[in-house]
Amino acid sequence: MRIIRWFILFILFAFMPLPLIVVAISSVSKSGYFTIPLAELSWRWYIEFLTDAEWLHLLLVSAVIAVIVSIISTTAALFSALVLYRRRVVGRGLIETLIMLPLVFPNAALGVAFLGLLGLLGAQGTYLGIVLAHCIIALPFAYRPILNSLRKLDPAFEEASMSLGATPGTVLRTVTLPMLRPGLVSAFLFCFIISFDEATITIFLIAPDVTTLPVRILTVIQESASPVIAAIATFLVLFTLAMVMLLERTTGLEMFAAPERK
Amino acid sequence: MSTRPPLFLLTGTIILIIAFLTGIAYLIIESLNTREGWGLGNFTYFFSRADYVRVLIRTIEISIMATIFSAMIGYPIAYAIANYQGNRNFLMILIITPWLVSVVVRTYGWIVILGPKGTLNSFLMSTGMITTPFRLLFNEVGVVIGLVHVFCPFFIISVLSVLLYIDTSLKEASQTLAAGPIETFFKVTLPLSMPGVLTGAILVYLLSTGAIVTPLLLGGVRDGMLATQIYQDVLQVFDYPKAASMAIVLLLTAFALVIPVQMLERRVAARTSGRGV
Repeated sequence: MRIIRWFILFILFAFMPLPLIVVAISSVSKSGYFTIPLAELSWRWYIEFLTDAEWLHLLLVSAVIAVIVSIISTTAALFSALVLYRRRVVGRGLIETLIMLPLVFPNAALGVAFLGLLGLLGAQGTYLGIVLAHCIIALPFAYRPILNSLRKLDPAFEEASMSLGATPGTVLRTVTLPMLRPGLVSAFLFCFIISFDEATITIFLIAPDVTTLPVRILTVIQESASPVIAAIATFLVLFTLAMVMLLERTTGLEMFAAPERK
Repeated sequence: MSTRPPLFLLTGTIILIIAFLTGIAYLIIESLNTREGWGLGNFTYFFSRADYVRVLIRTIEISIMATIFSAMIGYPIAYAIANYQGNRNFLMILIITPWLVSVVVRTYGWIVILGPKGTLNSFLMSTGMITTPFRLLFNEVGVVIGLVHVFCPFFIISVLSVLLYIDTSLKEASQTLAAGPIETFFKVTLPLSMPGVLTGAILVYLLSTGAIVTPLLLGGVRDGMLATQIYQDVLQVFDYPKAASMAIVLLLTAFALVIPVQMLERRVAARTSGRGV
């Protein structure tokens, strides 16, 4: 009975990591597929990935977009959380609902909406347009962790600092920001992951010479399914694993399951 | 004395909110823009085409199936994590890392596993259990498996955020009153976790209706979903009003099922918090 229970639990917990493990194994096989019995081992797909200027360029492009998006969304979320929770603002609830709203829209509908928006702004098929769209969808992911940190922060620390003669700028720099660090770090990492991984919405916003790494992977899978994808995919899995480890260090993973306090 | 951050700090967020609302407003307005002037022409055209209506129905079916399977897989996982006595971080990493990996990467993983020359078929054929590969890809089976994998973590997290904070004294009370573990689960834990179940189900359903990558890569040409249909139409003929009207149909499809469930959720939440009992 006990063995059956462990077996069922093992199967359940294997379901999520399974495709990632399979991709990792297939990436070091000569055929690019994880077949049983195993094919010969080979690094050829990694060599192909790391010597292809186009893939490296797209990796850089997606990383730069993700860093810019993270900086903009984290800053916007920090400032608005400070204003909304440190002074009485009319319509606080409304602003928070509007920040969270993109989360409940089906992604394909968001893609079409952003396509129209960028058309209005004349930014269709530009990196600027992709950055704007990513900032909007990343903002809710930045706002939550920052708000959680802010709520735990006792205003008495800031008041004490001010009463000792610190200017508002000094208080922000030496008291508020250091104490919000866990929230800021997880907001930044979250935004980075959201932007770096996004394909469903971005697919509407690209142009022939303006694309991102996930969208390019998608089109290559559709066109040829070259096993070089397995090497790139494994690289991205290891990268995400590193980010998750970092999140675990800074805030702990149970913050994902933190209940919403009203 | 208090620190009062100046209001202008809201500028960035307000700009992003206005941009988002402009996009949605433009979507709604353009969906009413037809060649014969303003009206509901795009929508009557959509519903007059039998193939589009079939795609719409298939979208709802597949999304509901993805939601049900996500619940069946996700609930036991959340329950196991919540009741694990040791360090939960390892179990959380097993769920959260795949969740944060790009959907294109995860979908590629399923192609490698389920493809005709993939891991599963090659294994079954080498053991001699089958002689021709199973067709697991490019049909609805593949799409549902892929969607469950992509969105199941949302369900797990929603249920977990309720299960982790259930007052353990309630379970103890139930067991003191001589209820067995199974009875305690069905009469105490499960009803108390219903708000998390409903939130998770709403999320999985909403996200499934709007998914493109998974149905595009794992689905067949003939079993597209509404989102892939929109994408292909935008790609082939750039008819923005038509795409906008289809996006509105998608939005209504998503919200039509979500709003009743949300009302149900409020009633359940009111009961489980003790006010309605």
